[in-house]
Amino acid sequence: MKRMTTLFATILMTLAMITTGMASANDAGYGKQKVVYHINYDNPKKQAGALRNIQNHINAVGAENLDLKVVLHGKGLTLLLEPEALKRTKLKKANATDEMQAKISGLKDQGVKFNICANTLRGKKVDYENDLYDVDKADIVPSGVAELAKLQAQGYTYIKP
Amino acid sequence: MTPGRRIDPMQDQELHALVDGEMSAAEKVALIDRLQRDHYRRTALCELRNLKEMVRTAYEEVPVPASRPAPDDEPEQGRGWLAAVAAVVIASVATLFAAGPELLPGSSERFVLLDPDGKGARPAQAGDEEMRIVFHVSGDDPEKSDEILREVEDMLATYGEKGRKLRIEIVAHGKGLAMLRQELSTQKEKIAELSRRFPNLTFVACMNTVKRLRVEEGVIVHLLPEVIPIYSGVAHVVKRQQEGWIYIQV
Repeated sequence: MKRMTTLFATILMTLAMITTGMASANDAGYGKQKVVYHINYDNPKKQAGALRNIQNHINAVGAENLDLKVVLHGKGLTLLLEPEALKRTKLKKANATDEMQAKISGLKDQGVKFNICANTLRGKKVDYENDLYDVDKADIVPSGVAELAKLQAQGYTYIKP
Repeated sequence: MTPGRRIDPMQDQELHALVDGEMSAAEKVALIDRLQRDHYRRTALCELRNLKEMVRTAYEEVPVPASRPAPDDEPEQGRGWLAAVAAVVIASVATLFAAGPELLPGSSERFVLLDPDGKGARPAQAGDEEMRIVFHVSGDDPEKSDEILREVEDMLATYGEKGRKLRIEIVAHGKGLAMLRQELSTQKEKIAELSRRFPNLTFVACMNTVKRLRVEEGVIVHLLPEVIPIYSGVAHVVKRQQEGWIYIQV
C-alpha cells in the first residue's frame, strides 16, 4: 500500500512538472504578483545571474500570474549593449552577446518588460535604436530611479538581485 | 506529514533542523527522500534557507557586543522573522551602548530622532500624499553614488516645482560610508549644496560601520557635517520598509 502511495505521488509530481506554469502556480499558492527587478551594475556574471533569478521566479509563480519589469539604468544598460556598439558609447562593457540576447528574448517571450533610463542614454551617449538589443521607444522611461519609485508606489515588489 | 499539503515553514521543526545542520546523515537522507515527493515542503525549505541567509546578511553588519546575553530557548513558533528583525535592532542598540557615546567626540547631541514630527513613520496612502524613498548605499562605486545624487536632485527639483511632497533619506553603511566621509567623499560640495537646497533630503550614516572601522582597522571616521548618525543602517532601512517607504538599493 505504501509503495502504491509513493508511486502515485511520484506520478503526480511528474505530471505537475510537465504541465506548464498554471498548475505549478496554483500548487505553490503564490497568486498574482507584480515585481520590479533593479539592475544598475555591469558585471556580466551578476547580470546573467539576475536573468536566471527571473526565470526561476517565472517558473515558481507562472508567467500568466506575473507582471514582471526589469529597470535598467547607469551601468545596468550594458546588459543590452551590443559588443560592436561599445566604442560608440561611454559605457565600459557591452554584455549583449548572442548567449545573453537569447536569454533576454526568452524572458521577453514570457512577458518580461525591460525598461531603459533616458537619463543614462543621454549621459552615456547610447543610441537605443542602433546600440541596444531589441529596444523600442515604448521601453524608454524618463528616469530609471523615478520609475523604480513609481512602480513601488503602484504596488510592485522591489528586488535587487 | 502528508505530502501535498501547503505548510508554514516556521512550523516545520524538521526543516529547521535540516537548515541548521542539526541532523545526522541518516536523518538527512530520509528527510531529503521524503522532500522529493513533497513540493510544498521543498518550497518551505527554500523559504527557510532564504530567511536564514537574510538574517545572516543583516548580522554581518552588526558586530557582536562584548557582553552578550545568554540566548533564549526556542523562539516562539511562527514569529521567527519578527524575532530576527528584533534581534538585529537589539543587537545594534546594545553594541552602541557597549561602545558608549564617545563614538564621535562631541557628536552625541546629534543622535537625534530622524522624524521629530513622527510623520515619517506613517506610510503614504493616497497618491497626493508625501512620497517617501529610502536609498540604501552599501558599495563605494563613485559612479553609482554620482548617478544617485543626480537622480535625487532631479526628483527633488521636479517634485518641488509641481508642489508635490517628497521625502528622501540616503542611508550609507559598510563600504557605502565612503560617500559621507570627509576623508573619502568625492561629492562633498554636492552633498552640502543639496542639503542646503532641500530640507526634505537627509543623509544618514551607520554608526556600527564607524565603530567597526575604528575597532578593526584603527580608522577614525569624520563624517560630513550634514550627516545624521544612526545606530544601525541595516536596521534603519528595514524599519523604513516596514513603515511603507519605497526602497531602492544603490
